Amino acid sequence: MQLNFIHKPSGHCENGVVSNLLRFYGIELSEAMVFGLGSGLFFAHMPFIRLHGMAVTSFRPLPGEIFSRVVMLLNIKMKKFKFRDKELAMKALDDVLLKGTPVGMLVGVYHLPYFPKEYRFHFNAHNICVIGKEDNVYTVSDPVVVEKCTLTYDELKLVRFANGTYPPKGRMYYITDISSKKTLDREAIRRSILRNCSRMLRIPIPMFGVKGIRYLAGRMRKWEKRLGSKKAALNLAQVIRMNEEIGTGGAGFRFIYAAFLQEASDLMNEPVLREFSKEMTSIGDMWRDFSYNAARLFKKRDPESITYDELADKLILIADREEQLFTGLEKLMKDAK
Amino acid sequence: MKTNEVPQDGSILEKSGVRDVCYAVDENGEYKQVISVGWDPKNDAINYAWQTINEECEEIKKEIIAGKKSPLALHIHRLVMTPEILAGYSGFTKHQIKKWCKAKHFNKLSESELEILARALNIEVKQLVSTD
Repeated sequence: MQLNFIHKPSGHCENGVVSNLLRFYGIELSEAMVFGLGSGLFFAHMPFIRLHGMAVTSFRPLPGEIFSRVVMLLNIKMKKFKFRDKELAMKALDDVLLKGTPVGMLVGVYHLPYFPKEYRFHFNAHNICVIGKEDNVYTVSDPVVVEKCTLTYDELKLVRFANGTYPPKGRMYYITDISSKKTLDREAIRRSILRNCSRMLRIPIPMFGVKGIRYLAGRMRKWEKRLGSKKAALNLAQVIRMNEEIGTGGAGFRFIYAAFLQEASDLMNEPVLREFSKEMTSIGDMWRDFSYNAARLFKKRDPESITYDELADKLILIADREEQLFTGLEKLMKDAK
Repeated sequence: MKTNEVPQDGSILEKSGVRDVCYAVDENGEYKQVISVGWDPKNDAINYAWQTINEECEEIKKEIIAGKKSPLALHIHRLVMTPEILAGYSGFTKHQIKKWCKAKHFNKLSESELEILARALNIEVKQLVSTD
């Protein structure tokens, strides 16, 4: 059984799954629009969550949030599940799938056979969509792969119940009813932008949003002294990997958000948003510059490569620019009502 | 980033079907999707992480030869596992796994226990007891 599902690759896995899922139901939203509506831009540096023994730096909200936000704004009904029992999780998937419904799910990338082996870390927040089954083999739409791919029953079971930081626990989600769907309007976009501004500016904990970038900068200055140069370089490499992992991450997300602001500008008839989009693009370029210089530092191929202090200064500059941008954006959206 | 500046530094992704979808502005300032096979700083970060893992594995091999650590410790490290994650996949406890990372406890493992560990690590028993 194969669903008539159009697979399009995307920059970020969850956007891609949501955008592809909605298209199946005749709702055409671009990846950037999904990302924006889901208030997907974020920053968090969390020393209390560890991956490979190092602090987790994240550029996205918790997995599943983009989907929840988008369906809420469009008034689409959905269901989501998580499981303890592996066989039950697979049976629940089959039941829904065989009724003709594509199922989005959260998986770990470590055991995904079509990933290059260099990418196989215990990263457990990857989204795919299951869109068919022949005998024992599932057809899968994975947004980071250009073509559709396949996973056997055992492979899928394994990745759905991956272990490690934030285990997916067989999480799956699907759309149940679109009959009361609202068309995308100005107000929905306005609310989603406001929400993103508030998440970047107003979470009263120093590890999140713009404050989180400054927090990372502050910790980065002490790495070398506290951990030694080797461990410091590893920590930096981890930030860059998270920053750029599989096309997503810091810079990539800034560019997707800039694309969203551009689309929003046309839809809302707010030409000023195009200026914000441009500013976001240049912030994205700053993140890229940060990654580029960081790579030079831990590779030590350049005797005059920059220091951790200078890298931290770059982060502070980025934080200032993002704070300015989101403050301006928030004001614009509050006045736009 | 402009569409013609999107990096195409293939060294990791090109062998697989995985690609990066990047967003960049074209000459009219409009955002477009561009598919990329990778970017050097990112490839460097991934390679650096693996290089460190390999170096640490060499250290562990020395300790195995010295009779302190067991091959299990090597495979856990080589496969970027942790005792905790392997515990999750194998059904043993974290403390059992940690104990078996020492040579003297590892040598007492039964055939069936070795098999469970090998399956959880996705390797053969033959490989599990060696340092390959």
